Amino acid sequence: MLDLTLYVYTAAIVAYIVREIWRAKTMRWVAFGLFAGGFILNTIVVLNRWAEANHAPMSDKYESFVFFGWSIALVYLIFELVTIFIVKVHESRLGIIGALQGVLAAWMICSALGIDNTIKELPPALQSKWLVTHVICYFLSYSALSMSFSAAIVHLVRKAFVSDKPKEAAAAGTVVQKKKDYSFDKLAYIAVSIGFPFLTIGLITGSIWAKGAWGTYWGWDPKEIWSLISWLVYLTYMHLPLMLPKTNIKKSFRPILLSIILLIAFPIVLFTFMGLHKLPSSVDSDHIYAE
Amino acid sequence: MANPAEPQQKKSNSDSKAWEILCSVRLAVIIIIIMAVACILGTVILQIKSPEEYVSRYGPGLAKFYAAIQFTDIFHSYWFSFLLILLCVNLGCCTVKRWRNKVLMIGFLVTHISIILILIGCVVDLLTGVKGGVNVYEGSSVDYYLTRADYKKVPLGFQVFCDDFIIEKHPPKYKLITYVKDKDKQKAVSLAVGKKISIPGTNYAATVKELIEDAEVQHEPINVSDEPKNPALYIQLSAKDKVTAEGWLLAKDRNWYNDTQRDLKIDYVWADTDEAHERLTNAAAKSSTKPTLEIRIEGTDIVKNVPVEKGQKISIKGTDYTVEVKDFALDYSKRLVALSEQEPNNPAVMVEISGPQGVDSRWSFSKYPDYQDKAHKTIYKDVKLLCTVPEDFSDAKNRVRIVQSRSGKQTITYIKGGKVISTNDWVLGQGYDISDSGLKIRIQKYFPSHSLKKTVVKRTGGHEGHNHGPGEHHGNPAALIEMEGPRGKYAEWVFAHTPPHWYPDNNFAVLYEKSGMEVKDYKSILRVVENGKTMMTKTIEVNSPLKYKGFVFYQSSYDPEGERYTGLQVTKNPGLLVVYSGFILLCLGIVFIFYVKPFLRRKFQKGKKIKEIYSEEEMLAEHIDE
Ligand code: HEM
Repeated sequence: MLDLTLYVYTAAIVAYIVREIWRAKTMRWVAFGLFAGGFILNTIVVLNRWAEANHAPMSDKYESFVFFGWSIALVYLIFELVTIFIVKVHESRLGIIGALQGVLAAWMICSALGIDNTIKELPPALQSKWLVTHVICYFLSYSALSMSFSAAIVHLVRKAFVSDKPKEAAAAGTVVQKKKDYSFDKLAYIAVSIGFPFLTIGLITGSIWAKGAWGTYWGWDPKEIWSLISWLVYLTYMHLPLMLPKTNIKKSFRPILLSIILLIAFPIVLFTFMGLHKLPSSVDSDHIYAE
Repeated sequence: MANPAEPQQKKSNSDSKAWEILCSVRLAVIIIIIMAVACILGTVILQIKSPEEYVSRYGPGLAKFYAAIQFTDIFHSYWFSFLLILLCVNLGCCTVKRWRNKVLMIGFLVTHISIILILIGCVVDLLTGVKGGVNVYEGSSVDYYLTRADYKKVPLGFQVFCDDFIIEKHPPKYKLITYVKDKDKQKAVSLAVGKKISIPGTNYAATVKELIEDAEVQHEPINVSDEPKNPALYIQLSAKDKVTAEGWLLAKDRNWYNDTQRDLKIDYVWADTDEAHERLTNAAAKSSTKPTLEIRIEGTDIVKNVPVEKGQKISIKGTDYTVEVKDFALDYSKRLVALSEQEPNNPAVMVEISGPQGVDSRWSFSKYPDYQDKAHKTIYKDVKLLCTVPEDFSDAKNRVRIVQSRSGKQTITYIKGGKVISTNDWVLGQGYDISDSGLKIRIQKYFPSHSLKKTVVKRTGGHEGHNHGPGEHHGNPAALIEMEGPRGKYAEWVFAHTPPHWYPDNNFAVLYEKSGMEVKDYKSILRVVENGKTMMTKTIEVNSPLKYKGFVFYQSSYDPEGERYTGLQVTKNPGLLVVYSGFILLCLGIVFIFYVKPFLRRKFQKGKKIKEIYSEEEMLAEHIDE
């Protein structure tokens, strides 16, 4: 089931890339359908695991990877549905982001495939109702922030290579389209504005949970510190636009700077999620998934 | 910029430069970035370690430098505290300065204030709070705790008793580990029946065909040939038509049965010729050799061999020891085991050694000469005993000897006190009285070539001999695993905790093992006593602490070896309420900024142009295009 999910996600990636080159309406639905299909398979894996394990399926490494893949797909699909049916912006608004998000989701599933998936009993500290809130907030946040990452990439690439695109569109006479075709940095901001509140709530619920389980709401544990770092970076992203007008940074460079921050920020998030065992201080931590 | 919501434009001259800076986002961004970098350093550089460790890890120069700029404990350093204070001041100033009495600014106000609250609460906790721990032995109490930082004893002002400490465990879970040798690749998988597990990159696969949670191996006797390769008889002993024992006797293997209760021994021998038959029939009547006891004094060459006879006293020349044989048991355990399960007995001699330091009496087992009962105190360690019992020795008064020969002659002989009483021919299925013993023997089956068919079945009945308390038995799981590879399919039963099972090419193996965390919960029953009066009792567990007089006791660890004490985390957080208020406000504020504010704004200012609704800064902050 899990490998099938991976194949469908991979197919979706291909479909989204094809769609960028051959912009047909059917292709859009094929791509969307494939991604949605992968999402449904992923959902079945998650639910199945839930039933088998008897606890919310996000307590060990394997479960987190599968769940993260699932939430990436979920958030992307919601974004696409909203852009199609509610905001009704130009269809290229999400475009290749679908492929990027597909890569992320497929990567997570791929990582899950290679590791120990035996069901483990929850250690006492994880048997808390805060765990579920905390983890769900984080994964939703991470998924939304991954959208902002992809949007920032697309924004930068477009700035670098296809900066004259809007003019072409205008020349083709699609005035209405142009008006609604927001730039990708705006999209990135929307994604952050969804992800950041969840990031904050995740940080807070994690702190409350730690208080209940270990007696300290903040213990400068590597996982805690890196969550704080991620939060601080996005905080910078939120406050930077207020500061930029008072500096002598060129106006046209500002969105690029913000995109670069997003480009740095999401790898930090990913590192917080799965790279902490590489740190020298991680040996003292009881917060990191056992390798 | 004819925008009224833009007071920043008309800067008052009275604003001093310092105030400007303190209010600026620029400072905020700088502080945030420095904090982020400090945090990264705080995880990359090891924190709060001994000076020696820093020197060995980073070299003396760098270690000294780190210590000087407080990089060894960044989060408690002066410069980090200064950073936090600056952050608070900056937040406060900017909030005060920018505050305009508008509904839309609630979020901004609330979030900024909440962060100040959280930081204030943290400082209060840091200055007046308590962070420590203490171990309490089961059944005893403490009236102090040790600080986390330097393990100083601090009195609590009351006593905390640990009345009981309980560890709850999950029943164990099992997993299957597959291993490919030439790739040195291990993979752990859960056991799902019928699911084929392919090993990526190889052509090996494993499938669990069947799973038994509590399995045992059953041996079903079968006959494999008509040639008498391994002759066996199934015999039945009965008293007054009630079967008292039954089972297989194997001529070449377990060829006797001892009924200690009735002082009876039955043996079964096979004769290849008729002369041998004759000889074997009468052999048991001759007195067989007696068991012997070898007494050796370590460190000397004194060795003494004596026949085992109850009551015999032997004084060892050259020493002060006298050895007396007190008892002899042919089967020490003396259990009444069913015939089919009777194992080779365990003969033992009980010996009393008298010497200068008193009497040392001990059992010496012929099969385990070095075994000593733990409870027994050996006084004379240099006295080594070895009891030898001849294979055909029996102290039973009544003996039944069944002899069978290749030519088809089969007799049953009854011997009493070393004398042959009677010899009869026997046929299958008929009962024979064992003279005056009141017992009847019946030979039910004859397998010329007895063998055992191994089958794995679900265990039924009791678990005699297992060392566990009631309700703790979790069974002995087994899985029928089919391994697939270049040499085809190959299925085998694999028991948990047995060595790995290898595929015939010795390159692929499966191992069936226990996995996962077993502790479900640990709990301590705590009782608080102040001035001799019990103030409260509570069963604490992880995520459910005990609170008393501002102190909170968390279940945090336990004695990993004997489980004799419970490890408590002791805290006092006077600032907790402030911190939690900050948390709640931060959540509310942030939800307001991102989810409520945009809707409110659209509602308030319907029909207006974008530029009229938003200030320039807001448009920048929220990426709104003109
Ligand atoms: C979750 C945390 C935070 C949120 C959601 C937040 C949100 C905001 C918002 C929405 C504004 C713009 C107010 C307006 O509409 O004019 C603002 C301004 C500001 N924030 Fe924050 N903030 C947060 C944390 C911080 C922190 C930690 C600092 C650190 C010092 C900070 C410093 C500032 C400053 C200095 C301004 C004023 C900008 C100016 O005067 O032009 N904020 N913040």
